[in-house]
Amino acid sequence: MSIQNLNTFDPFADASKGADDDVQDGLVHIRIQQRNGRKTLTTVQGLSSEYDLKKIVRACKKEFACNGTVIEHPEYGEVLQLQGDQRENICQWLTKAGLAKPDQLKVHGF
Amino acid sequence: MAEDETIFDPTLKKKKKKKKATFDIDAALAEGNDSLDGNTLSGENDALVANDENDDANADIDLDFTKQKKKKKKKPFSTDDLEAALNDVKDETSGLEGTNQDEEIIDDNFDLDFNKLKKKKKSKKKDLDEIMAEVDDKAEDKENVDDNAITWSGSDRDYTYEELLNRAFEIMRDKNPDMAAGKKQKFVMRPPQVVKIGAKKTSFANFTEICKMLHRQPKHLLDFLLAELGTSGSVDGNSQLIIKGRFQQKQIENVLRRYIKEYVTCHTCRSPDTILQKDTRLFFLQCETCGSRCSVASIKSGFQAVTSKRAAMRAKTA
Ligand SMILES: [Zn+2]
Repeated sequence: MSIQNLNTFDPFADASKGADDDVQDGLVHIRIQQRNGRKTLTTVQGLSSEYDLKKIVRACKKEFACNGTVIEHPEYGEVLQLQGDQRENICQWLTKAGLAKPDQLKVHGF
Repeated sequence: MAEDETIFDPTLKKKKKKKKATFDIDAALAEGNDSLDGNTLSGENDALVANDENDDANADIDLDFTKQKKKKKKKPFSTDDLEAALNDVKDETSGLEGTNQDEEIIDDNFDLDFNKLKKKKKSKKKDLDEIMAEVDDKAEDKENVDDNAITWSGSDRDYTYEELLNRAFEIMRDKNPDMAAGKKQKFVMRPPQVVKIGAKKTSFANFTEICKMLHRQPKHLLDFLLAELGTSGSVDGNSQLIIKGRFQQKQIENVLRRYIKEYVTCHTCRSPDTILQKDTRLFFLQCETCGSRCSVASIKSGFQAVTSKRAAMRAKTA
């Protein structure tokens, strides 16, 4: 039988790395933007900075067969940017890869 | 029953749309669109079509069986006539020592056709009967429900659970005509009128009208729309909203629906009778029906990727 109080679990572990984290509200915002013509762009903002976004973008590009890049933003941190409407794809992929829970994903746009 | 209706789960929407056309904002939004009626109708049609397809499938299966000669012979036939005909064929072919296989196949096909016709007729008839029976059942059910309201008061028999439940709901509905749970007050929304302007812009013609209907500041809805669509736009002299980019009515409707869910309907009781107040940088949704008050998400456009021409941008800033 274990005594909870004696566990080495630090309840403030999250807080130390939180605060200035780029995950402002703990949500991953997935947005779509129209470009010229019927072209679109998908942006993913709010992925934890613990993850290597470059690695993620590489995987996504291969998986969705689209181009993509990581953009460093002063306010929003590293943002994933993919060509085309990849909202469905990225939602599924992020949950499947365990990078975000379904209720953390917030999909914007039409 | 009441609980089901109060849940505002976007994933349930589609199902609801098909089953209960009159529920949810969803449906209200779609009103006047005719698309709803189309949906429900097509749903029924699908069922009928499915039945027909089943018939065809049956026929096809028969066909497959009969093409394999041995199976066909073993297969029992329902009518004596066919059996007799089959025997005739058998006799003939055995007399010819099975040399004319082609002929046999043709004969088989004839039998098959018989089969098909008969089976089809039978199953169709069955289907019709079933449908008629269902209709009758439904009619009876309705009658029963009506009867409950009338007959139960006169006699001194024990009332059933159903009757009591109905009675309770009837009274509830009578006493509170605008109760959110019971009959579900309709939240009537006119669909947004969305027109293309040229190749790159879209007009949301009844934008101000919809703002008035929702009792929200045009600026608030505008902020939300533009943030969600990730674009820019403004209200012009004719009080219509001009949005940069090409959008369809369906898409605008989607965004509106999300706006209503977050900023118009009460998060507790779903009543649309709410006031949006700004209080120390936060927006609060105050419900006039149940008195609940909760903060709502602030509108943030978040990260915006550069989509305009970079050269032009550089020229501007330089
Ligand atoms: Zn309320």
